[in-house]
Amino acid sequence: MKLFDFGLVFSQIPKLLEYLPVTLELALVSMLAGTLLGLLLAIMRMKKVRVLSQIAGFYISLVRGTPILVQLYIAYFGIPMLIKWINLKTGSNYVPANIPGFVYAVTALAINQSAFDSEIIRASLQSVDRGQIEAASSIGMTYFQTLRRIILPEALTVALPGLGNSFIGVIKGTSLAFTCAVVEITARGQILAGRNYRYFEVYVSLAIIYWVITIIIEQLIRLFERKTRIPDQVEQYQPENLKTGEAAV
Amino acid sequence: MIRIEHLSKAFQKNVVLEDVSLEIEQGNVIGVIGPSGTGKSTLLRCINQLEIPDQGTLTLDGRTIDLHRKNKQDMLYIRRNTGMVFQKFNLFEKKTALENVMEGLLTVHKLKPEEARQAALEELDRVGMTAWANHYPVHLSGGQQQRVAIARALALKPRLLLLDEPTSALDPELVGEVLEVIRKVAGQGYTMILVSHEMAFVQSISNRVIFLDKGHIVEDGTPAQVFSNPQNERTREFLSKMFILTQPEFII
Ligand SMILES: Nc1ncnc2c1ncn2[C@@H]1O[C@H](COP(=O)(O)OP(=O)(O)OP(=O)(O)O)[C@@H](O)[C@H]1O
Ligand SMILES: [Mg+2]
Repeated sequence: MKLFDFGLVFSQIPKLLEYLPVTLELALVSMLAGTLLGLLLAIMRMKKVRVLSQIAGFYISLVRGTPILVQLYIAYFGIPMLIKWINLKTGSNYVPANIPGFVYAVTALAINQSAFDSEIIRASLQSVDRGQIEAASSIGMTYFQTLRRIILPEALTVALPGLGNSFIGVIKGTSLAFTCAVVEITARGQILAGRNYRYFEVYVSLAIIYWVITIIIEQLIRLFERKTRIPDQVEQYQPENLKTGEAAV
Repeated sequence: MIRIEHLSKAFQKNVVLEDVSLEIEQGNVIGVIGPSGTGKSTLLRCINQLEIPDQGTLTLDGRTIDLHRKNKQDMLYIRRNTGMVFQKFNLFEKKTALENVMEGLLTVHKLKPEEARQAALEELDRVGMTAWANHYPVHLSGGQQQRVAIARALALKPRLLLLDEPTSALDPELVGEVLEVIRKVAGQGYTMILVSHEMAFVQSISNRVIFLDKGHIVEDGTPAQVFSNPQNERTREFLSKMFILTQPEFII
């Protein structure tokens, strides 16, 4: 038996990629939920309501102060206990065993994500010039309209690199989803290696896969940044009647 | 008739406006002058509800609103009927000139995109900015940005237009184009309150001039009365200082 089976590193990649959809789904759903929750937390912290800001601050401190692995286990064991407690209190009859591991993993990853994202989002929201917010208010836009149409588009540009890093972080975080009995690419790799004891090879394969995913995401973010940038130069506007007039000449 | 009554505002212990009342005839241009820090901006910001005064009411089209109450509906009503032009323009930087002007038409007046576009183009035309419709604020000079900002405010057909030192952030050679636009707008019958340090301009454009000092209206009259024959000692002092600073060649 070879010490290091170089060929296997590449030949087993397709087998691992069968579970790539699970990894991506975990990452995307967690990122989406985490970002939305993070936005909510950021707004809670910025609004001048003391209690809300304190609740958000406590939550962020708690989540950032505990390891993701511990959070995953807490979700995995805690949510069934919570459901049993609800059953006890309300007489309902939910069966924790029916809940797929995916739900536990996404819950923990999203919560973890939200704490980090909320700080990125808060900084980006605060970077938006107050004058523009006042201008929006002065023409009678509501807070929600201002948020959606003025603040968020500008904040997004600022937040994008940070959120991109955070997304890359959650992709790697999904490799811990086995704790909730979810089989994604890392868990799949462990199963494969369990059969042939080629643990080193499988982890090298996984490293390559994660690295390539990260590179692709970085490129996508760069593309998006380029798309949303204000162009350097713009042509003068030609009214339509003038344009057609010229065409007729 | 637009009426402001018993408007007071303090920042902590600093009383900035004290029981200010003001009646504005439809179509009038009220020039507000006064030393720095006397509450001119605060007056406009309270009217527009960007600042919540400690007390005061605004009567607009027969509807009297308590400016202190922070009622969302009332606030939107006031803001939708008053326009504000800021010293620093405050254009939406991620939007083109056209989109800046369209924004209120889309979100506040709920026009269809095509209608909003047409209306916005008309407003840009009024301020002579049609050719720059697709430019972003970063591409525009200060004077051009301010003209777009005026178009943005006018697009919503405000019953009262508030201008807070619209030219004081501009390079001297750009002041003229903005003043010209304001003069044109005033000629079209808009009711305006104009805060400015451009004394000659205030004098020539206003129907009425108010001198604000330490949160009080201490002088109120026609431009001729206020500039040529001020009654109050503080007004005289202020005007003599201003006219020393303003050389005749800058007068428009
Ligand atoms: N947000 C605020 N918090 C505390 N104090 C404020 C605030 N805004 C304004 N002030 C104070 O209120 C006073 C009046 O300010 P305001 O901006 O209305 O003056 P102004 O007449 O517009 O002056 P200028 O001609 O310099 O623009 C000043 O003393 C200022 O320091
Ligand atoms: Mg001011």
